[in-house]
Amino acid sequence: MIELIGGVLYGLAVGLIPTAGATTGLIILFSFLYIFPDPYSALIFIMAVVAASTTADTFSSVLLGIPGANSSAATIQDGYPLAQRGKASLALSSAITSSTLNGILWGVLVFCFIRQLDFVYLYVGTLELWIINLIAFLCVVFVLGKKWYLGLIGLALGIVFALVGTNPVTNSARLTFDWEYLKDGLQLMPIIAGVFAIPEIFDALVGNKKPYKKATKSYVKLGIYATFKNWWISLKGGIFGAIIGFLPGLGGAVADWIAYGQTVASVKNPTIPFGKGNIRGVIGCEGANNAQKATSMITTVLFGIPGAPFAAIVLALLMYLNIELGDPSIFEDQQLFNSMLFGFLGGTIIVAIILLLFLNKICYITNVPYKYYFPIIFILVVWSCVQYTGGWEDYLLFAIFSVIGIIAHKLHISKPAIIIGFILFERFELLSVQLLTRYIL
Amino acid sequence: MKKLLLASAILILGVSAAKADYTMVIPQKPGAGTSQWASIISKHLEKHLGEKIVLKHIPGARDIPGFNKFHNDLRFDEKTIMVSHGGNGVSFLTEKVDYNYLDYDPIGGMNLTIVMGHKNLKDKAIFAGGSGNVPDVMALTLYLCGNLTSLSDYKKCYEDKITFVKGMSGGERRMAYRRGDLNVTRENPAAYKKHAQEAGEVLFTHGVTSAQGFKIVDDPNHPNKSFIKQFVEKWGEQPRGNLYEAYVLVKSYRDTLQKALWMNKNNPNTAKVRVALESMLNDPEAVKDIERSVGKYDWWKGEELFDVVNKLDSMTTKEVLITLVYWQKEVLGYNAILKK
Repeated sequence: MIELIGGVLYGLAVGLIPTAGATTGLIILFSFLYIFPDPYSALIFIMAVVAASTTADTFSSVLLGIPGANSSAATIQDGYPLAQRGKASLALSSAITSSTLNGILWGVLVFCFIRQLDFVYLYVGTLELWIINLIAFLCVVFVLGKKWYLGLIGLALGIVFALVGTNPVTNSARLTFDWEYLKDGLQLMPIIAGVFAIPEIFDALVGNKKPYKKATKSYVKLGIYATFKNWWISLKGGIFGAIIGFLPGLGGAVADWIAYGQTVASVKNPTIPFGKGNIRGVIGCEGANNAQKATSMITTVLFGIPGAPFAAIVLALLMYLNIELGDPSIFEDQQLFNSMLFGFLGGTIIVAIILLLFLNKICYITNVPYKYYFPIIFILVVWSCVQYTGGWEDYLLFAIFSVIGIIAHKLHISKPAIIIGFILFERFELLSVQLLTRYIL
Repeated sequence: MKKLLLASAILILGVSAAKADYTMVIPQKPGAGTSQWASIISKHLEKHLGEKIVLKHIPGARDIPGFNKFHNDLRFDEKTIMVSHGGNGVSFLTEKVDYNYLDYDPIGGMNLTIVMGHKNLKDKAIFAGGSGNVPDVMALTLYLCGNLTSLSDYKKCYEDKITFVKGMSGGERRMAYRRGDLNVTRENPAAYKKHAQEAGEVLFTHGVTSAQGFKIVDDPNHPNKSFIKQFVEKWGEQPRGNLYEAYVLVKSYRDTLQKALWMNKNNPNTAKVRVALESMLNDPEAVKDIERSVGKYDWWKGEELFDVVNKLDSMTTKEVLITLVYWQKEVLGYNAILKK
């Protein structure tokens, strides 16, 4: 139980830091694994971190308009406008409820039936993954309605950033300008921070940012009710999240945007337009969040193939603990599956209780003038951005993307589209290369 | 004020203590194959070293930047150990890299191989990988084409008989092999057992390099399945020629230096770390744990690994490199330069 509570608190802290997310939190754990008395205790802690950070990363997206992790960028679309209207508690309570219910549902399904699922992978190949990537691209552009061209520009920008690095066909440098640092491509953190966080901080600094409307009452009960009222949207989000998580290598950003896209498409003539604070926009994509984390563990456990970046770290952490995921012998270890289920479900439920209990208090941050907390946010964001090498290059990239982010913000170019273009294009390019060599050339 | 000073002193001492730890530099992200191996090695090695080992991941394009950083900067720290892996060996031969194995004191490394598996392979192989798989594609070409007279003949045969799918990660390749999208795969021995054994059968292993005479011999885990023996069985003669020599060179660089530890030349701590490694390799618990990760293979220890590096260097002739560069550039379409 101590491991569970510890994992929840640590995951909560990591999730609340803008742009950090589960993967960053898990990497840090390598230095602390020795403190656990046995591998199963560590496993409970790890799964609790995954569950808690995934639920908690919504706070940064809703309250600050800065993604808590790349998989929570879609939540900003409607969550942040709600917070600006003094209804942060409505957005957050809906998000937590939707995320938690789907986390419980998919957590139970995954960890109880994981052994029976391996046959499904025989039917999902390169073409199917390529099509899903394409759908995510289309979703992020066309959810903007008539202003789809701003999404397309953002997507193109993201793709240009993704092209920097090494050409996967020839292994030669591409758009690196002979700078060794760029040969591994641009890093995600400076782009997220530059595109999302810095424009908000900059606006606050120059006085362009309007104060949030004061939160005069609590909307927590209403938010929970809204999720149950729109249970089908939440469940559909969960189904999309689960399917994407199930397919190795696609990741949370795809899941959230496809879930958001289908929510927008399925609600005709909404009273509040999507992108302006429609609560269903929050419920749909948050339904995908924890579901995706749960199903990402399927290939990781069955085959030792990480279903998402965070799962690669889980795999390595468990290897360090002498637990070899993907090895058929683990299926005889019932304690392993019990620990995973306990950590993931316990983490999902406890973090939800903690967050709902303290939600109103946390939401009061929107009543505090920016000048008191934006310096702290700025420091945390800079810290996240310089974790790659810690050298001056990290700082320079952060500065460059801050300028790009401010310009994009002024021109109203879709920020999520930039991020999705950047995250998904590398994968999309590799899948395209595979299809071309295998079936066309 | 006193409390503040005390807190500062504790912090400074803490930082100094942290700096006193050994650092193991890994040129990959956490979770990648050699990273997993390094985390297991560090866990056991630090027990025998008596000092903590901190892992420092410096990932980058084809795992080169981390090794370059070690060469240009980190190696001058007396408590820094570098972990090299197979791809570094391949890149060393035909890419612009700063690192050079001859500039370091070898601590030790595993003498490994790669297992090639197949599923109903007849004449046409469908195989996936990246530039680290160059030796695998060369061996596959030799195996399917036999001894040919010129490199252009090999190129034509490769184009007829092999589809090399680029851009697949190790995980994707495993899934594709299970599905039957690929009919040839490659894995390290432990991963082969786990991921590919059930789906097909061993085509050949690249074999391991013997300490005596530096010859390629059978992998003890897969007897009679070495490339040479399988080639002879299929074609009735020994493999030979330019392509074969280039293959032996690049395969040797990749497999003999695939999982190895290095410190800077004349580092005063080298002897201490070598002793710790020797002690770790006599620890049954550590050995069992390491074998679970990559399989049961011998280690080159200290000076043995130094001899390996010198032998590899003597094998690296201009003629062989010309063939290797031709193969990478003209046949596989990879960027490659003639270095020597």
